Amino acid sequence: MAAPLALLLLFFALPNALLLSASFVKSEAQQLTHELTLENYQFLFTRPLYIWAFVRTFIVGVSVGLIDVVLGYPLAYFLVRTRSRWKGVLIALALAPLLASVVVRTYGWYIILNRFGVANDLLLALGAIDERIAFMPSTGAIVIGLAHALLPYTVLTIMGSLQGINPNLELAAMSLGANRVRTFFDVVLPLSFPGIAGGFILSFSIAISAYATPAILGGPATQVMATAIYGFMTQLLDWSIGAALAVILVVCAVALAYVAARIGARQGAL
Amino acid sequence: MKPWAALRAVVMAIYVFMLGPIVITAAVSFNQSNRSQFPPRGFSLQWWQRAFSAEWVDPLVFSLKLGLLAALISTLLALPLAFALARHRFAGRDALAALTLGPLMLPALVTGVGLLQLFQYAGAREYIGFTALLIGHVVICLPFAVRTIAISLQTLPPNVELAAASLGASRAAALWHVVLPLIKTGIVAGAVFAFVHSFTDVNLSLFLARPGEQPITVKILGFLEYGFAPTLAAVSVITLLLPLVLVVIVERVSGLGDFIYASRSRG
Repeated sequence: MAAPLALLLLFFALPNALLLSASFVKSEAQQLTHELTLENYQFLFTRPLYIWAFVRTFIVGVSVGLIDVVLGYPLAYFLVRTRSRWKGVLIALALAPLLASVVVRTYGWYIILNRFGVANDLLLALGAIDERIAFMPSTGAIVIGLAHALLPYTVLTIMGSLQGINPNLELAAMSLGANRVRTFFDVVLPLSFPGIAGGFILSFSIAISAYATPAILGGPATQVMATAIYGFMTQLLDWSIGAALAVILVVCAVALAYVAARIGARQGAL
Repeated sequence: MKPWAALRAVVMAIYVFMLGPIVITAAVSFNQSNRSQFPPRGFSLQWWQRAFSAEWVDPLVFSLKLGLLAALISTLLALPLAFALARHRFAGRDALAALTLGPLMLPALVTGVGLLQLFQYAGAREYIGFTALLIGHVVICLPFAVRTIAISLQTLPPNVELAAASLGASRAAALWHVVLPLIKTGIVAGAVFAFVHSFTDVNLSLFLARPGEQPITVKILGFLEYGFAPTLAAVSVITLLLPLVLVVIVERVSGLGDFIYASRSRG
């Protein structure tokens, strides 16, 4: 019991506490000074570059969450309800992408979206465009890449919630005269709301802290919080501002986790 | 049955979206030229040959070593935590649960930045590389192992230990001969999830790697700055296949089953 506790305190709690305190101190040449300051936060909240990075991160998170719920719900519903003998294989195929790193899966989108990539080749061959288009670097490409990478998480979350619905409720609705479609919209969909919200928050919160996809499919003009933190840590070498940015990211993640827990509690009560 | 047919068509389209990029990546790796043509023109194994050169095999082996060690250590450390959290009620239990699941709640990127600053400010910069990566990976893999083991403990009737004790077994003997064999599947599943999480991580490794001591994900990411290379497509397929093979073997031998839900990253 002492070993895991020591590990978590020393290498999880302590570094995070250190980040929090470093964000209120000036740093020089990767060493902390003794000067307490709010300048790190002031810097971030006054420069348009970083204000835009916050806004872009938020837009990416919301878009990814929405796309994943819209795509994940029908897939999860199908996987829970199908009586196909391929059910096991289909579930495995839907979750298998989780075994590949986000770097690898984003690379697939790089192959498709780059200027000399598959999408441009295809559109040129079809005569839909006359010259090559720059699909990336762009915020749209980041959204597509992340929505693709995080879809299995949303599917898992929604499947979990759909499996918890008592099938007798649907039979009851149908015996009272509702058809399948009406039963779905009046019974199943409302009952699976915690799964929808949970799936949305899960992909939202992973998306706002993702580094690889924005780094590969974005560029200097499409900075998000994660790429900005990396920049401060490795290129600009202002570790205190990097710490402040990390603290802001943590606050967002904790707020989202809190909302998810509240919805989870309601799910338990249902 | 018309709505169901429509749903099936939608689901097929979603599968194309999900698996398309992976299929294209695999196909492109067999291209004859160094362009990302799809469908591939000509057939060549030259990119695969290059993928098996030391430049790519070294970080791959590094990732395997890191992942296996991180899985082993985090599973061993997870056992006492899971027992305490699943079986006992004590003061500070909520705090311990929060601390244990903390690395799941907070972005791994932040943990990586925090560990980098900790090592730097503590004057332990020389540990950046394998040691720092191993520590970081154990921290972020721990919650997966704890959660999976805790689930299998919760489904275990608590009186099996009492039954063993009434038959004369000591506490340790009951644990070793009765409880551990019964939660074996959960332990194995937890270790597998920990390995996969370590092997696919990039957000934490980004800050703790150094040249010569970097996992395959960080290596690929660095290489991508130079643009497209079919070698990378081949390497991507290899890094995708390794955990897949592992999971299929474990699923066959001991089963992962319902623990899949515990593999969710957060929430």
